[in-house]
Parts: sequence; structure tokens; C-alpha cells
Amino acid sequence: MIVKASKAIAPLVFFAALTAPTGWAQQWTAPTPEELAITSIPEVPGASALYLYKEETADDGLHSQNFYYRIKVLTEGGKEYANVELPFYAGESGIKLDSIEGRTIHSDGTIIPFKGKPYEKTVEKTKDYKIKVKVFSLPSVEVGSIIEYRYVLRLDDNWFSHPDWMIQSDLFTRKAHYMWRPTDRQLSMEDGKQLSSTVAWTPLLPTGAEIKQTKVQIGHGRDAGSVQLDLDVHDIAPLPKEQFMPPMRSVSYKVLFYYTAYRTTQEYWAAKGKQWAKAGDKFAGLGSATKEAVATMTAGATTQDQKLRKIYAAVMEIENTDFTRARSTAEEKADGLKDIKTADDVWTRKRGSGDQITVLFIGMARAAGMKAYRMGVANRSDHFFLPGYLSLNQLDDDIAIVNVDGKETFFDPGQRYCTYGRLSWKHSNTSGLREIDGGTKLADTEGQSYKDTRVSRVADLKLDDQGVATGTVKMTYSGDSALAWRQEALRGDNTGFKEDLRVAMEKMLPSGMDISVTTIENPTAFEAPLTVTYAVKGPVGSPTGKRLLIAADLFEVNSKPKFPEKKRELPVDMHYPSMTQDAVRFILPASMVVESAPAAGAAELKGMAVFDTKVANSPTSITVYRNLTVGRALFASDSYPDLRSFYEKIEAKDQETLVLTRAAAAAAAGGN
Amino acid sequence: MILLHPCFKARASLLVVSIVSLLPAAHALSSKDSVPEWVTAAVAQPKGTYSPETSAVELLNETTLTVGTDGKAVERRRRVVRILRPNGRDEGIIVVPYDKDTKILSLHIWSVGPDGHEYAMKDNEVADEGYPGGGGLYFDERFKVAKAPGRDPGGVVAYEVEQRIAPYTHEATFQFQSDIPHVNQSFTLEVPPNYAYVTVFAHHDAVKAIDLEHQRYRWEMNAVPAIDLERVPMHPSASALAGRMTVHFGPVGSTGAPLGSWQEIGEWYDGLSRDRLVATPDIAAKTAELTAGKTDFYDKAEAIGEFVQKQVRYFVIEMGIGGFQPHSAGDIFRNRYGDCKDKATLLSAMLSTVGIHSAIMIVDDRRGVIDPVSPSLYADHAIGAIEIPKGYESPKLRSVFVAKSGKRYLIFDPTWEKTAFGQLAHNLQGSYGILMEGKATEIVEMPVMRPDLNTIQRSAKFQLDADGSLKGAIVEKRFGDLSESSRDLYTSADAKEQKMVLDRRLSEDFASFSVADFKVENVESLNKDLTTSYSLIAERFAKPTGGLLMVRPRVLGSEGLPVDRKARLVPIDLKQTMVAKDDFDIEIPAGYEIDEMPEPVKVDMGFASYESASRMDGNVLHYSRTYTVRQVSLPADRYADVQKLAALIEADEQGKAVLKKK
Repeated sequence: MIVKASKAIAPLVFFAALTAPTGWAQQWTAPTPEELAITSIPEVPGASALYLYKEETADDGLHSQNFYYRIKVLTEGGKEYANVELPFYAGESGIKLDSIEGRTIHSDGTIIPFKGKPYEKTVEKTKDYKIKVKVFSLPSVEVGSIIEYRYVLRLDDNWFSHPDWMIQSDLFTRKAHYMWRPTDRQLSMEDGKQLSSTVAWTPLLPTGAEIKQTKVQIGHGRDAGSVQLDLDVHDIAPLPKEQFMPPMRSVSYKVLFYYTAYRTTQEYWAAKGKQWAKAGDKFAGLGSATKEAVATMTAGATTQDQKLRKIYAAVMEIENTDFTRARSTAEEKADGLKDIKTADDVWTRKRGSGDQITVLFIGMARAAGMKAYRMGVANRSDHFFLPGYLSLNQLDDDIAIVNVDGKETFFDPGQRYCTYGRLSWKHSNTSGLREIDGGTKLADTEGQSYKDTRVSRVADLKLDDQGVATGTVKMTYSGDSALAWRQEALRGDNTGFKEDLRVAMEKMLPSGMDISVTTIENPTAFEAPLTVTYAVKGPVGSPTGKRLLIAADLFEVNSKPKFPEKKRELPVDMHYPSMTQDAVRFILPASMVVESAPAAGAAELKGMAVFDTKVANSPTSITVYRNLTVGRALFASDSYPDLRSFYEKIEAKDQETLVLTRAAAAAAAGGN
Repeated sequence: MILLHPCFKARASLLVVSIVSLLPAAHALSSKDSVPEWVTAAVAQPKGTYSPETSAVELLNETTLTVGTDGKAVERRRRVVRILRPNGRDEGIIVVPYDKDTKILSLHIWSVGPDGHEYAMKDNEVADEGYPGGGGLYFDERFKVAKAPGRDPGGVVAYEVEQRIAPYTHEATFQFQSDIPHVNQSFTLEVPPNYAYVTVFAHHDAVKAIDLEHQRYRWEMNAVPAIDLERVPMHPSASALAGRMTVHFGPVGSTGAPLGSWQEIGEWYDGLSRDRLVATPDIAAKTAELTAGKTDFYDKAEAIGEFVQKQVRYFVIEMGIGGFQPHSAGDIFRNRYGDCKDKATLLSAMLSTVGIHSAIMIVDDRRGVIDPVSPSLYADHAIGAIEIPKGYESPKLRSVFVAKSGKRYLIFDPTWEKTAFGQLAHNLQGSYGILMEGKATEIVEMPVMRPDLNTIQRSAKFQLDADGSLKGAIVEKRFGDLSESSRDLYTSADAKEQKMVLDRRLSEDFASFSVADFKVENVESLNKDLTTSYSLIAERFAKPTGGLLMVRPRVLGSEGLPVDRKARLVPIDLKQTMVAKDDFDIEIPAGYEIDEMPEPVKVDMGFASYESASRMDGNVLHYSRTYTVRQVSLPADRYADVQKLAALIEADEQGKAVLKKK
């Protein structure tokens, strides 16, 4: 955050000249023979490059931040780190990025200085702000080179910007030093009213690393601080990257700083929560017309649950512009309106953002006599909520909590077509700030049950003696699986939705099948399962001379192993628990009989997931049943071997074969 | 983003998609706005009938190019688009590219919402954005960007822009076909007295000009259908299909070459690049060092080519004419970085110091974009063409063409880091390039390489256990473009990523497996097979069912073709010529014998052939196959053959041998 010095406390001070603070890398670091000789690092075999050293120092007294990086290039891929792009925000704080210097050192010690002029360009400019970038490339970079560069970020004299130390990056870091001397001055905060009284930070640090605070005697100028914060770290692993990983980057090693008026996190959340709640309550306050609408729609309902269901159904009818398009001020004005400011506006115009619709729902529930609370949550698809991180920006989305017939229940009306009384997976098992009677508090949301999300896949197919199947496939979705499809439909139209459904089925079934969507039931009826029926026709197996071999579960024929990697460092995030039930029936041609079918099978993952499959025969048909229930969304990394083993068993069963034999061949061989 | 190597300036309008996410919403407009009459007239046209997939339709595109007596030109463009579907909303985001040479003189934007409200956007609602950058590509091109109000299905968006055209080229290209239908279009040219013009058309029959008198001419292209490739497999680039017209203009007799000819383009480019090709003493010294002891033409050229390819990093900063003009060879050599034309320039300069002549060749890495009957600068890449000494012969000469002069040239792309010297990347094969040889400039067709220069060979010996598990050792050899992604992986990714990619590849064929003894050879030796070898244990590979064991003789590796079942309207891009060979031995478990075997397959469709067979040799099940692709593209009417081939490959790859207990 960039903040301004408080004029009331300390008038503007201008420095005639700027000098680098003590300790900044004014001199290049001479490479050691060991550094020149490095070809790889044991911590990251095959790494393309590593940071030998990073230094980021900031001195509020000088209104400047200094950056210095030394990178060793280990492979061809590492050469890309010689292309340096430095974006910066060029607003009224007068930020300048200058004093760029760099050099390349070959592994034989030859030094090639960077003599070029960095290219500066504006990436984005609006009436309110400008984002610029400085770009340069270090010369003559080879595998084995050490590349070094440094630059200074400067602000106008009456502006301050705290640093954020992003310790973990895509490269391994051998050693890094961070320093900040914050000003002792009181600063005017973003709203222009509040004054900062202290500096605070959220440290996410590796074991053993800690920020040292030192009293300093000599500062630089009038804005100089009396305390210096230092951090030294070493051997920092690169940012993790694995499939099915939770949003781990949001909890990478870093230190986030703030100039703040609050002394504790509790104080911050209490004060900010109060403002947040006030703004929400103001928006949620309904006028008489909307209240009347609530009364009308809930007329006849005898319980709170009945009333709330009617309200929920009503807000589900409202256009959610998160999935369509928010109207501009001009468009509102064209209708003789202003921008949406209240829940009444949302109700009247029958459109609003997800958050606006949520607050309308809260207002309407209150109007119907229920206690309803707003909760801002971190979107679990993107990041975790960190209570120690003092920022309301963590609260991505609003959900609602309503006391229904004596029980608090979570609702997610901002997620259009989310089931009544349920949360979208990205808002479940997360945390945030909620309203309570008389205030706010940090709280968690509830998790989900496997019963909430079900997918049923049923194929009813008639086989001919060439192995061509003709029939129907019926997919039934509920919970998050239905929500995903319904919201996909909201982003486009029926033509696009049908094509998306068709392509999804095409990817699932054996290749070469003709597939068309015949019906879509309940595309918007959020309380009912979404059902899609397909007409399908095409080859489903591999014919041999006298047999036809068919994958037992047609819906898994194209599935690939979920967890091919033997080792894993991070937890597994499946997003939500779920239940999948398959039934595939083949009506056999008279010319074919079942020679063999997979045996029944089952697998269990210590109460976290279960799987079973079986085959039922009749004289004219054979039906394969398969059930998979995954009871949780998150699996700890130490449970990965068991999880992988569980899926391997499933995948092996899924690949088993149904063997049909031509009746004549079977008779010749002695029958089945 | 469409342009892979936009190191040679192409048309900027292709960049629209990459930057729209940065836009702020429009606001603060007057409700009293009204649209101009020409917008109303365009909207009033009969609505027409379009397929349900049509996202939007361009009702009007009226472009006027006015050339002043000083040769400077200004283009005025009016465009009206009706949005038909939600996914057509992007058409309501106006993006006008410009740079210091193509200044926007005025821009006005209007729209009509589905409810009939009319809007006019204000200047302060139009954002100004730079090229997003990243990946070593930086341009000074900027964009005026505006989100028009009312851009919903049924809404109409219109704009009028007046803009200078770059003063250093004397051509303008009018693209009159895109992914949406175009109803009414016209291009008007106004040239001063004593000016001449020539028009050329790409991917479209020539349209006759209407003489409006007083040096004014108009071309009309109405009812032009869309080229919608969104879900078309194996399609060429849209720019290789879309119709476009390029108009060349200039004072009568200003050049020696015919106006609008490849020769004229070549002479113009010669003026831009000639002094950039001069070798410095440093360059000469380095070249001498690289070629020391070498006497053979190819050996010398290869040493120089590989230096430029491997030691000069790809990095682009382009400003204005820098989109066309290379940096000087001395600067490129000193910095050891540059873009495609810089690399081609340094290559040429270095070769010149050892008496080898070469030329820059302008190409497009989207096959088919350059149309040989349509001379223009519409291209996106530069490579080198090295003249082969008369009478020189060598089996190493592969990517060769013969110019009209009878001179032979060896093509080399120093930008493509994983294409061996002497090879040519598949996307350039069968395409056209402009051989920049001053007055002798010409358009040349680049060769399609022999299939055996792009190969993959998988061989393995396995033992199958009665429980279905498979153990064995696998060797995979790749050469040519088929080795490119693997070479890139083994040079750029760390060991963990490499393992992850191998695991993902193997998971295409095995449900449960482990890999050991992994080895990779010749990663950097582009003219040798990239060889990977490893041992594999795959549990439950064969499926026991009753007393049977089902085994897939094609153990690993797929050559499937991504066909669909829809009617084909556009040509088929087969991507590359190639040969894939598999040779697998599976020792079957004791106590089992073969009961059934997949049928052999042998088919030759001219453009490709496929042959596979499984046979028993003692207790070893042997599978072999050879898949050869001989052409890089086919006309649409051959799609049935491609579908048939795809079905054969699919069936063969899934074919099972049935083992039964003795």
C-alpha cells in the first residue's frame, strides 16, 4: 500500500538529494570460485537457475526501496531469467524506477556489463492510474553465467510505501536478506482520515527464520525511522507445483507489512468488521416496496423454512451479472437509474452481482422476521483465509447465514442455482468474517457431505453383432456437479450449452460414437437434479475373430490414472466430496453370449472413500454397476500413498473387460 | 495468442483476445446520445439468417484510405457489429492498435442496446493499454480499448476511427473475412494525381474496383461468410483461409520494380536491412574461430548456424519500424540476443565473412498465410536462406529450394532452438517465403521434408506375468520435430517436472506403473536421435477375465488422429510428415497360449500409410507397426479418408490378443 504522510502531523518535507542507505549493495558481489563452478543443486535436481542472493532493502527516510538479485543460470531454460521485466504503478505518489544496473559473469569469470537503456512502456493507462514497466535483457548470457541486476524504486518525498517480502519464488534461493526502516511519522491512511500509529506484519516464514528488530541511531532525514527490521533466510525451496494441490501459493513464504492504526489483529478485525458490517447492513436495508414483496411472496408459509425457501427461489430468479455482464453507469443512466446502491435496487432491477444478491437475500430474510447475517469468505479455489493478515481483500465473496427455525444455516445465493441451504464448494471449508449480533467475528464455514453432490451415469445400449451400440445415456447431476453445469449454461446460451454437454460426453465415451443431446431437464430448477439425456450410437469395443471385448464401465473407458506420481509433497484437493453411481446395460444380440465378465470388486480408503462394482447377467443382457463415494475434499500428504493405491485399484477394475463371444464360436468351444 | 513469433511485424488486430481482461468498465455516459445515421442504416438492414452458432455479424465495414500528396496516408474505418449470442459480447469490446507511426487521429464509439437505447462513449471511457509483454516479447504497440454499453445479444456496437498508416510501408491490407459473417464491406482508395496503385488478393478471387473518378476507387465485398474454426479438428490457421486485399500505392515510376510485386517488396526491404548485415571485426573473428579447420561448405555453415541458434538468445524489443528492420549485426553479436530477423541478420553477416552468401527470408509460421499470388508484407517471422555453392552436393542438404535464378538455397531457422541445422520446422514446410534478394527477390515454396527426417521409434522387450503385470525395458528414439518438445523438456525443466511429464505420458497407456533406470541421450545434439530408455513395471496391464488374459500388443504410444464426425468445409492440416515405428516383444506367461490375435492392418492412402501386425514367435507375442505421413495438408474432400484412417488406427491401438490357459 502506498500512503501519504499526514499533513496534520508532519508537513511535507523535501530532500535535495537522495543517497543509498547503509547496507545496500552499492558494490557488485565478486563471484566465488564455488559459485562460478556450480552446475546443479542437490535441492532441486535439474533446476534451470537459482538465486544465489536476493537483497531487498527499504528506507522510509529516503522514500526508496533497493533491489539486488544474483542468479546463477544452470540450464538453457534458465537463460530466460536474463530477461527482466519490472512493472510499477505510476500514480500520484510519483513512483520512479531507476538506477538500473546489471552485468553478466561467465563461468570463466569474464564480466560483461549491461550498457543498454531499459525500455520503458506504459502497460495500462486510464483516467485514474497508469501501470508502467521497465524491460531489459542482460547481455551474453550462457549456461553457467551469473546474472546480476539492481534497481531503485523511489517515491515522492511526502509518500511512503511499505515493502512486502515475497520470499518464495519459482527458483530455489540460496541466501536472501531483507531490511526495512519504517518511518516514525504518523501517516494518513487510505481513507484520508485515519492515521497510522504503528507498523505491523504477517510473517509466513520457514522454521528458524525470524525478523530482527534493531534500534537505529542514525536515520536519513526527517522521515527516518528509529527501528530497523531485518530478515535473513537461506535455502528456500521453490514454490510448489503439483496437480490437485490446494491454493498453496497463497501461503508461500512471505512477510506482508502494513502501516496501521491498530495494535492487535483483534483490534483490526473488530474495527474493520464494524465498518464492513455497517456497509453491508446499509445495503441490506429494504424499503417498503421490497418488504411488501417479501410479505407477498411468503404469504401462506407457516414456518421460517417455508418462507425462506420462497425468498431463496425469488432471488434465484434474479439475473446474476457475475455470469452475464454488469451494466455500466451509462446503461443505468439510460434507464433513468443510478448505479446499484441498495438491495432495493437489486430487487427492482432484477439483476445484481453475486454479492449484491446475497445481501438482498439477507435483507429479505430479515424482513421476513429471521435473523440473517452476512459473511465474507475467502474463495477456496484461489487462496486461504489468514486471520493474521490484516486485509479485508481476503474476503472475496459474500455468503449468508440465516437462523431458520432455531438453527443457523449457510446459504450461497450469490452462486446462482446453488442448492438451498448449501454452499458452493469454493465457499465451504473456508473462513472469513461474519456478522453476529452486535458485531462481527472471524469464523469458519461448514464442509460438505458426499451426499450433497451426486452424479448418476446410466447407459442403456443395444449391441449389434458388429459391436455397435445404440441407445441412450442419462446423466443426472446434483450439488456442485449440477451447479457447475448450470453456471456454465448461464455464461452462454442453449446452443453453446448443448454443444458443451455433447463434447463432454464425447470425451467420456469410446471414440467414434455419434452423440447428440436429446433433452435437458431442470436446467434452472436448482432444487431438482439436472438431467441430460443423450442418444448415442457407435462402436464400443474391440472385436477379435470370435469375440468382442468391451471395457466394463463405458464411462471410464477414456479415464487416465488420477495420481500417476508415486511421490507427493502437498495435500490433495478434490474440491468437494461426491458420489458417482454408474449403471451400464448392454442388450446383447442373439448372435453373442457373455463368455466372461469382471468379478465383483470393492475397495475402501479407511472410511474416507469406498468403491464397489458388480455385474448382473440376464439371458439377453448384462449390466455393469459401479459406485464410487469420496467422503472428503482434502487429503493430507501423508495419506497420499493410500489414496493413490485406492485409485489404482479402482482404475484397474475400470479397465477390466467384458468378453462376448459369438454364439457359434461359444457352442463350438463348449458353451459358456 | 495467435502469433508465435511476431518478430516480424504482422497485423496487430490479431491481438484483441489477449488483452481484453484488463479493461475497465465504461461509465458516465449521457442518456441523450444518439448514433449516426450510417449506424442506423446498417442496423436497419434485413437481419439475415445465420447458423445458431454464429456469435455476431458484422453489418458494415467501410474503410477509406486517403493518400496525401506527400505520400502519407490516413485510414478511416467505420464498423458496425450486431451481437447475436452471449459469446459474441467480445465483439462489443473495441480494440484499436496503434503506435507512434500509426497515430489515432479520432475515435468515436456508439452502441445500441437490445432495448433500443443508444449510447455514445466519451474519450475518457476509452482505456489506453500497452502490449502485455512477457516471454521475451516487448513491442511499443498500444491499444485504445473500450467496452461498449449494451453489448448483449441483440445489441449493436459501432465505431469510427481515423488513423495514420505507417509511413515506411506503401501498402495497406484490408481483411474482409473473419470468424463472423460480414454483410456489407467496402474499401475505398483515394490517391493523389500521378499516383498509381495495385491490389492483390489472398485466399479470394480478385474483386473488381469501381472507379469513382478523381483518383478514387472502391472495392465491395458483401455477404462474406464466417470462418469458424472453433471446434474443427486439424484445421489450418484462420489467417490461411480468410480473404484479404492488399493495396500497394506510390508515385508513378517511383521504383524500378513493378508496383506491388515481390521484387518491389524486396528492394524496399533491402534498403532497410543492407547496412545492418555488415559484419564487424568481432564477428569475423568469432566466425573464423568457429570455422577454423573446416573446409566443407556445410560444415562451416552448420557451425555458424548453430552458434546463432544456441548462443544468441531470443529476446524482442520492437519499436515502430523495428517491426521490420533488424538491429545491426554488431549489436546483436555483442548482446547475444535478438529477435528472428536479428538472428537471420547475424547469421548472414557471419556467413559473409567466410564467403558464403545468404539472404533473409520472410515467412509466416502459420502455414498458408502467405499467398504466392498476393505480394505483401503480411508475415510474422524471418529465417535465413543460405546459398549453396554451385555443384556442391551432400546428403546432408535437406531443406533446400531452387530459386528462379537457378541458385540453390539451404533454409535454416536460427530462432527455432530445437530444429537441427539442415532441417525445417514442420509449420514452415509446404508454405511460402519471400526470399529477400533485392532486385532478385521472389516468392518461393518451401519444401515438404521427407517423412524419414521426422521420426519416432519405440522398441521394447517385455515379460508378461500370469497376474497381468508387465515388466520390460523401453527405448524411444526421436528425431526432427517429433523430438522438439522432449528436447525442450530435458533442457528446460527440472528433474521433478521431467518425471511428472513422463508419468503423465505413460499414464495414457498404463493404469499403474513404476519407472526405473531412466536415461536420456543426445538432448543437445539436434542432428542425432534423442534417445530415452528406461525400465518399466506395469501392474495389471493384461486383464484376466475368466480363464483368459487380454493383452494389448500395442503396449504404449499413440498415433491417433483427432477427427470429428461433422461435414468438413476447410482443408485438413496434417501438421507434419513423419514416420512412427513401434516394435514390441511380449513374452507370454508360462502355461498360456494364444487364442486370438488382432487382425493385421495394411492401408496406404497416399498421403499416409499404416501397417501393423501381431504374430507369435514361440512364446513371444510380437507387435510391429509403421505409420507414415507424407503430406502436410489435404483438401477438405479427403476428410473421409482421414476419418477412415483414424478409425483404423484407433481400432488397431485398442486391439487385444486373447491368451488362454493351455
